[in-house]
Amino acid sequence: MKYRLFGIILFLLFIAWRTLDGLVEGDWGRLEGGLSNLVVFFEESMWPPNWSVLEARSYPVCEEEVGFFCSVGYLGMMETLKIAFVSTVLGFIGAISLSSLAARNLTPLFVSIPVRVFLSAVRSLPSLIWAILFVIVIGFGPLSGVLAMTFYTVGYLGKLQYEVFEGMANDPLEAGRAMGLSRPSIFFNIVIPENGNHLLSQLMFMFEYNVRHGTVIGIVGAGGIGYYISTYLKFLQYDKVFALLILIFIVVVLIDLLSLMVRSFVNEEGDVRKPTWLTLLMKARKRKQTSVEEA
Amino acid sequence: MSDTAILSLEGLIIGYDDPLVEPISLEVKPGEIVAILGPSGIGKTTLIRTIAGLVRPLGGSFELNVEPRGGLGYIPQRLGLIRHATVAHNVSLGARMRVKWSLDMFKERKERTFEAIRTLGIEDKASEPVRRLSGGQQRRVATARTLAQRPELMLADEFLGELDQTNVDIVLGAVRDLVQSGTAVIMVEHHEDNAKNFATRIWEIKDQRFIDLPIDEWVKYHSEKEEEE
Repeated sequence: MKYRLFGIILFLLFIAWRTLDGLVEGDWGRLEGGLSNLVVFFEESMWPPNWSVLEARSYPVCEEEVGFFCSVGYLGMMETLKIAFVSTVLGFIGAISLSSLAARNLTPLFVSIPVRVFLSAVRSLPSLIWAILFVIVIGFGPLSGVLAMTFYTVGYLGKLQYEVFEGMANDPLEAGRAMGLSRPSIFFNIVIPENGNHLLSQLMFMFEYNVRHGTVIGIVGAGGIGYYISTYLKFLQYDKVFALLILIFIVVVLIDLLSLMVRSFVNEEGDVRKPTWLTLLMKARKRKQTSVEEA
Repeated sequence: MSDTAILSLEGLIIGYDDPLVEPISLEVKPGEIVAILGPSGIGKTTLIRTIAGLVRPLGGSFELNVEPRGGLGYIPQRLGLIRHATVAHNVSLGARMRVKWSLDMFKERKERTFEAIRTLGIEDKASEPVRRLSGGQQRRVATARTLAQRPELMLADEFLGELDQTNVDIVLGAVRDLVQSGTAVIMVEHHEDNAKNFATRIWEIKDQRFIDLPIDEWVKYHSEKEEEE
């Protein structure tokens, strides 16, 4: 069994290698010097990061006591977080309404199939393309970003949700149906409580995803920190871009920790209902120790 | 107690592709307790699921003379509980079916819920998620849900499995109270002793044949058969 798995992995690697070779048409010379180019670019243009992005802007005049609150980094990140938050909330509401109609175990086929097709259509456009469309239709700014990411969230989250609903055990649904519960009552009183853990987990994942993509859609003018990244890229100020990328990384890690904490309220194993930061770190340390002992 | 039949079967043929049992015609009246006996895979669960409206009959017809909203209580083989919700939430689903809209609706619902929980002796688990309870406790929760619902017809598929004798007595005592108020019970049962002690009527499925006898006659029929053997 072990050897068969090893053989399959080797075979897949070989196929991947052959495909890649076909894609680059055998011209591997392009990789030559790539790493040294990257090192030169990083040392000369990006390092050290320019932390002036966390200082107050010269214009408009800062009226805050702490200059950081008027900085490009803070304002851009806050706008990105706000766009991500609003679009996640709106998208979640849209997605859950549609996914309840798309799940085959909750609705008849003549309802679920058209809803699934609609969700696929919405999902087939990445958030960046939605952003470009909305920038064309309603102009630059955060509203375009919110609408773009709301649409994408509906498509993406809707699929995740209806797959979770379809995977749930059938017996609570049958008990509800036999008792005479209406469809909305079954959904709110059986389906949502039974899948609360998954829904919460997906919601937090989507928020984190929207924060990361909020930076990308800003590049096409849909607001947020991406707008500033795009501007610095145009003026070749890579050290400032690097500082903003570090800021995004820190925020994403913080959201991941927040997500871990929120999900632990409804954990399957869950006697730890309210973990502290300390217990989270201790768990990580304990895991590390165990793996060292195993080794 | 009313004499009108709660359930009437007219040449009902059950099964998924092929008939599992010969056509069944009978009536069930309020206050009757029917135990369905027979070996595994013979069609007991299919019969109960057909009456619950979850499986289409292959032929014949059946009529349920109960209120469409909450008149039928159903405990499936796997109990049909919401594992991640609390005991109180699960039981309240039964209560919400029968409490009509009024200003006191929520109060009444709560009272019904906690009365059922107390009757089954699981009040200390009321705020626990069902997934943390033992198999026996989960069966008591499923029974409490039906108790809070107070249906006119209760269908239960092996709901006494995994219960020790003390718990069997508690659950059957609670269901007996329900029966006294006019509920009819149809239950799939594996243990003949439980059926003998509790049921008033037996449906036995054997080799595609359907036997419907009052409990006394069924006991007599079986003892005669055993003597012959």
